Amino acid sequence: MRVQRRRGDVVVVGLDAVGRDLLTSLAAQYDEVLHDDEGDDAVHDRLFPAAYRDDPDADDEFRRYTYEGLVDRKSANAGRIAASIAAAGDGRILLDPDAVGAWLPALTDLRLVIAERLGIRRDDDPVPDGQLGQVYRWLAELQARLVDAVDR
Amino acid sequence: MVDVAQLVEHWLVVPVVAGSSPVIHPTMSLAQPDEVLEERTLIEPDRAWSTVVWNDPVNLMTYVTHVFRTYFGYPRPEAERLMLLVHHEGRATVASGPREEMERHTEAMHEFGLWATVERV
Repeated sequence: MRVQRRRGDVVVVGLDAVGRDLLTSLAAQYDEVLHDDEGDDAVHDRLFPAAYRDDPDADDEFRRYTYEGLVDRKSANAGRIAASIAAAGDGRILLDPDAVGAWLPALTDLRLVIAERLGIRRDDDPVPDGQLGQVYRWLAELQARLVDAVDR
Repeated sequence: MVDVAQLVEHWLVVPVVAGSSPVIHPTMSLAQPDEVLEERTLIEPDRAWSTVVWNDPVNLMTYVTHVFRTYFGYPRPEAERLMLLVHHEGRATVASGPREEMERHTEAMHEFGLWATVERV
């Protein structure tokens, strides 16, 4: 995994074929989770948390006005990951600032979904050593390097 | 680094439906200079509501700082101060003003994957 910023604010992401396939697969799965109304409530609550803690009516109204738009924009971000990778073919992935702006929230949401599946709910909950735990760490590293590249 | 070589076949928790290619939309830009302007103009009359960001065990500290800088337009030191408040105190008020405005910020935070709520000041 290599992440570098180039002139013109383009970030270059070097992933091997396995990493590209993994991320493409994860983005597609995330998109399905977004559109699965019958899915895991806990996962759903992480992606669409309550805006009002003690006012269910206000929260319902907030959701009524924001939910579909949020799903659409999160879904578009997932699509942007797949599109960036597809456009790169076997080569390096080029992300302009707009693409980075789509990747970062999507990587965050992917990690939120996986964290819920792994039972990571508090700061001191350990990341399990299994494969999903490794995917979780790998996504964190990718995201950290992307943030470093654009914030430098 | 994680060796992803053996991972890709094992994490198809949700099977990918053939032909369900995601729709591509123009995505939000992280830089929103209009937001900064509005932050300045709404400072006065109505501060009855606030947007609060809460700690979670997932988000990277650098990413939270990045969001506070790019979305709210906070200078890096202020963005880092707010991020550390979230990290150590469990919450930070990142904006205050009219209710509709605070709902818009909260929606934006949810889009970034941050846990935010609208609170009465």
